[in-house]
Amino acid sequence: MINFDSAAPVRLKGVGDGFWITLDPSHSEEVLKSEIDKLFGNLKHLAINASVVIDVGDAKGHDDLLERLKSYLINTFEISKVSRPPEKRSIPTERIRQRDLSKGWNHHRSDVLMLRGIVRSGQKIESRKHIIIMGDVNPGSEISAGGDIIVLGRLAGKVHAGFPEDESSIIFALEFRPTLVRIGKTTASGIDEEVRIKPEYACVENNAIIVKDYMKTNPFRKMPWPEAI
Amino acid sequence: MEGKVIVVTSGKGGVGKTTATSSIGAALALEGKRVAIVDMDIGLRNLDVVMGLENRIVFNIVDVVLGKCKISQAAIRDRRIENLFLIPASQSDNKDVLSSAGVERVANELRKEFDYVIMDSPAGIERGFQNAVVGANEAIVICTPDVSSVRDADRVIGILYSRSLTPKLVVNRIEPARVERGEMLSYEDVLEVLSIELLGLVPMDEHVLISSNTGTPLVLQNDSKAGHAFKRIARRLNGEADLPIEVPTHKNSMWKKISKTLGFK
Repeated sequence: MINFDSAAPVRLKGVGDGFWITLDPSHSEEVLKSEIDKLFGNLKHLAINASVVIDVGDAKGHDDLLERLKSYLINTFEISKVSRPPEKRSIPTERIRQRDLSKGWNHHRSDVLMLRGIVRSGQKIESRKHIIIMGDVNPGSEISAGGDIIVLGRLAGKVHAGFPEDESSIIFALEFRPTLVRIGKTTASGIDEEVRIKPEYACVENNAIIVKDYMKTNPFRKMPWPEAI
Repeated sequence: MEGKVIVVTSGKGGVGKTTATSSIGAALALEGKRVAIVDMDIGLRNLDVVMGLENRIVFNIVDVVLGKCKISQAAIRDRRIENLFLIPASQSDNKDVLSSAGVERVANELRKEFDYVIMDSPAGIERGFQNAVVGANEAIVICTPDVSSVRDADRVIGILYSRSLTPKLVVNRIEPARVERGEMLSYEDVLEVLSIELLGLVPMDEHVLISSNTGTPLVLQNDSKAGHAFKRIARRLNGEADLPIEVPTHKNSMWKKISKTLGFK
């Protein structure tokens, strides 16, 4: 009968093309060595040229002990390579990778309100989601979104992204000349300077709204892989 | 065949709705069509003055809609242009006397008797405007190259679309010299914002003031640039959709263009 609770000081397991030794470093070196002798003695020629991983579980330190065991294994049983178990990845990274691999966006219900056409003076578009408009937003119109606002055309109306208080939202337009910009609780009025027709976006930095060239400072370039919103 | 009811509107006041209505109406009548011009600006009657017919008014559009008279009694025949009729507004009532259903019924009756019924809408987007639009098949939006006029036109265009009317645009009072100096929006700027079909471009013309005050139709004055532009607009409305749009220029700029093409600077 196998007793799981009082584990032996050294346990051996076949892993891939080698072996995985789990040892309890609280035992003395002599005990560990004799246990290793026992186990590897049974393996006989199978141990020759094998690669071995020594795992001490969650225990820290014991580097000297492990080094001595390593050379002992190599010299006594002609093991080719002794290594430590690979570092475990942090949990969030692992989760994102998994999501990436499973193409999570296939089952994603969109958080985006996507419209096409001209938003004319006097029209008001409100959504608790992100808003994408394929067309122009004319002066005298209003757009209010819970998240980002993206205009694939000229933006010349009044816009409020991140309603009511999400200051991480952005407002993007291919031609950015709104009369009034609000992101979360921060407000800025439009600028009356010479029109530059280039893709720009507004975001909040140090409690002020800043307009940046999208092609030069793309805020999403930092993101390592695509993420559904 | 039934005629068309065309509403002329702008949102903003003073951009030339009344001038455009009378000029386009007169030009269509000169093309040989039977035309009725209807003043829907109840309480602020102007069209009769512009057309020089103010002293011949007996009945008006309110009387027609309320059933107090027949259309033929209210329609005033123009003496100078054949087949041109005016149905004036009432000066004493206000815009609430008319019901949408009543206007729609009259519009349908007018459609049977005339080739073109041109309705002059009041400024604004309230009751009076709604009444003017209710019976229309087509809409013409007048706008001047001002930021405020463009914005109001934009609003009106949105409302017209919501009523399944596809408006066409006339840009009025273009001053080529000012456009060239960058003091005025160009018609391209206006079109870029409004993005609807362009029906015509009308230059600033002092003949408009004179003809409005003397009550002579603009299109009868041969040397009027605006009258010429309105004639072309009427031809475009009357089936000649391919008639090219003339862009107003001033003499200086003509010479500039010529010297540019010849390579002088």
